[in-house]
Amino acid sequence: MTTRLFAVGLSHRTAPVELRECVDFSRDGVGDALASLASRGLCREMVVLSTCNRAEVYAVGGPDAPDGVARFFAEYHELPLARLSEHLYVRRGDEAARHLFRVAAGLDSLVVGEPQILGQVKAAYATSSDHGHTAAVINRLFHTAFGVGKRVRRETGISEGAVSVSYAAIALARKIFGDPSGLSVVILGAGEMAKLTGVHLKAQQVRQMTVASRTLAAAERMARQLDGRAVPWSELTDALATADIVITATGAVEPVLTRAGVHEVMRPRRQRPLFIIDIALPRDVEPSVGDLEQVFLYNIDDLQGIVKENLTRRSGELERADAIVDEEVERFTTWLQSREIIPTVVALRDRFETIRQSELARLEPKLAGLPPEARARVDEITQLLVQKLLLTPTEQLKSVRDESLISSYSDALQRLFELESDQPDRSETPRKARVAPLRRE
Amino acid sequence: MHLLPLILYACAAGAYLAHFAGRDRSVGRLATGLLGGAVLAHTFIIGMQTVQAGHAPLVGTTAAVSAFVWLLGLAYLYIELTTDERAMGVLVTTLLAVLYLIPALDPGVSPRPAVLQSPLFTLHVLAMLFAYASFALAGVLGVTYVLLFKEIKAKHLGYFYARLPSLQVLDAMNGRALTIGWIFLTIGITVGGIWATQVQGSSDPRAQAMSAVDPKILVALVCWAVYSFALFARRAIGWTGRRGAWLSALGFVIVLLNFVPVGYFLTKSHNF
Repeated sequence: MTTRLFAVGLSHRTAPVELRECVDFSRDGVGDALASLASRGLCREMVVLSTCNRAEVYAVGGPDAPDGVARFFAEYHELPLARLSEHLYVRRGDEAARHLFRVAAGLDSLVVGEPQILGQVKAAYATSSDHGHTAAVINRLFHTAFGVGKRVRRETGISEGAVSVSYAAIALARKIFGDPSGLSVVILGAGEMAKLTGVHLKAQQVRQMTVASRTLAAAERMARQLDGRAVPWSELTDALATADIVITATGAVEPVLTRAGVHEVMRPRRQRPLFIIDIALPRDVEPSVGDLEQVFLYNIDDLQGIVKENLTRRSGELERADAIVDEEVERFTTWLQSREIIPTVVALRDRFETIRQSELARLEPKLAGLPPEARARVDEITQLLVQKLLLTPTEQLKSVRDESLISSYSDALQRLFELESDQPDRSETPRKARVAPLRRE
Repeated sequence: MHLLPLILYACAAGAYLAHFAGRDRSVGRLATGLLGGAVLAHTFIIGMQTVQAGHAPLVGTTAAVSAFVWLLGLAYLYIELTTDERAMGVLVTTLLAVLYLIPALDPGVSPRPAVLQSPLFTLHVLAMLFAYASFALAGVLGVTYVLLFKEIKAKHLGYFYARLPSLQVLDAMNGRALTIGWIFLTIGITVGGIWATQVQGSSDPRAQAMSAVDPKILVALVCWAVYSFALFARRAIGWTGRRGAWLSALGFVIVLLNFVPVGYFLTKSHNF
């Protein structure tokens, strides 16, 4: 039985969200799904990857295993297979490897280059490994995938640039002020938008949060939620004088911050930079405020524009990322194919060793008279002889890349040496070195 | 002999440019390695000249340029290794490679005239050169600050936004470089003044030309005034940020003018 790697699954690319919600292996724990899949005896190695945007099984099994796994998808979630099958994809061999590598690198994600997926892939592999469902092929596949994920991030710009408005604002603040932990933030307005932005900034551990609103009670309520302080609207100018970042999100119709007003504030600040983020609609800040020296004014459209630019730039990096994936797939496939021959190699060695042992047993009466050192020498010489005889054939076999050639070689060897047909894939379990390392003179 | 540091400085500049454009960490390490190699080769040459001449090779503008390149290379390497920030490397190494053309094309060591045989002379030259190296760094920091400032202000976050450290860091480093430079410039000018009064009676015509109206001395005093104002403006009226950055870039242009054209063609007091 040869090692057949495959992947079965569905993702945001093939299935609508209603269906993805139904196909969720993490509902009863991935461990449960793994146990259920394993009990079907379809696959020797398997990993279940389940995130909000995808549900996939990576496994090694016989030729019918992919169909069996597709049925498992339906039966485990109690869905009719017909409803599921049009959304399921099956990838085999190198295509399965390519798919996993692209997933791990974030190339197949909804937001290209998002970093969480690599952690999710790692967790899925760890769960499967803990339950004893991984072995040589899956181990190699996933460790390569982790490497690809890191390499793509390091060597391309696929994960660069903020892709949400709040992260774009935080990234800008970092570019202006450096470390955000010493910063003072003033939030104008106590609405939902203001609060959301405040929560994001709080996560950056800024030094101080100040909330100002036309109604002090509303400001105080929000300040409590953000661990900040509230100031009455009349003390706004003082609060602005010490602020580094100002977020405006009031419902006012007229601008709250005028050019003249901000100009007044800038004087006592002695030109310390002021970063104003206007997320209100209609605008809270006069556009000409942005012309003042050391004032950086961004509104929601500007931030959305940055996000859009970053997304475009990320897509532009896809080609470079796919080149890296291709390279790694090639390397993995080479390794995978070289493994096809391993059961035959092992069987061949076993055959030779059996012959050696039986010949030694046959000669036992003649050897009995020899001193122990001489007998040990005989044993050693026969071992070396077997190793030398097998060295070149083994190397030659392992270097074969062509799949059809591999199977015809295996076939020939099995006939010539009467090897057991359909050897179990012994290399799956750790195997102690049966043959001592060869000494070369 | 002088070609080796020149080649290494030029290669380092190329590598820093490649690193800046491609942002590959291994290219960055290569750039640092090349610059380190260049400074090392340069150190070797200065050492050889010292042994040959029996005194530090600080006589004449060519030797001063060489010593300036060496000091700036060392100072930049120190800053890069302590801050792990390579963005300034492109401008600094380009300046190093261009300025090193002068000693590379004129590798001889000038003999030291009797009038210069004073420890005050060595102190004066070293303090001035160290001040100039600090101002070079401040100038480079100022230029990068302005580039980044413009991108953020224009809301078009692109090339420099992805490559430069924050405005705050650039501004703080600029302030530090200005302060250190100003201290050494003050020491250098004071020591130079004391030494000039000591050699006033000498028969050397250059010693007699030492006065505040000699172009080299005059421009040095202008530099001192510009940098004093820059520091004062930073502290007292909050001229940090873009204005401070422009001022430090302007200051360095004056330094460079004084260093090369004035030093070679105009001065009557410093033409050793």
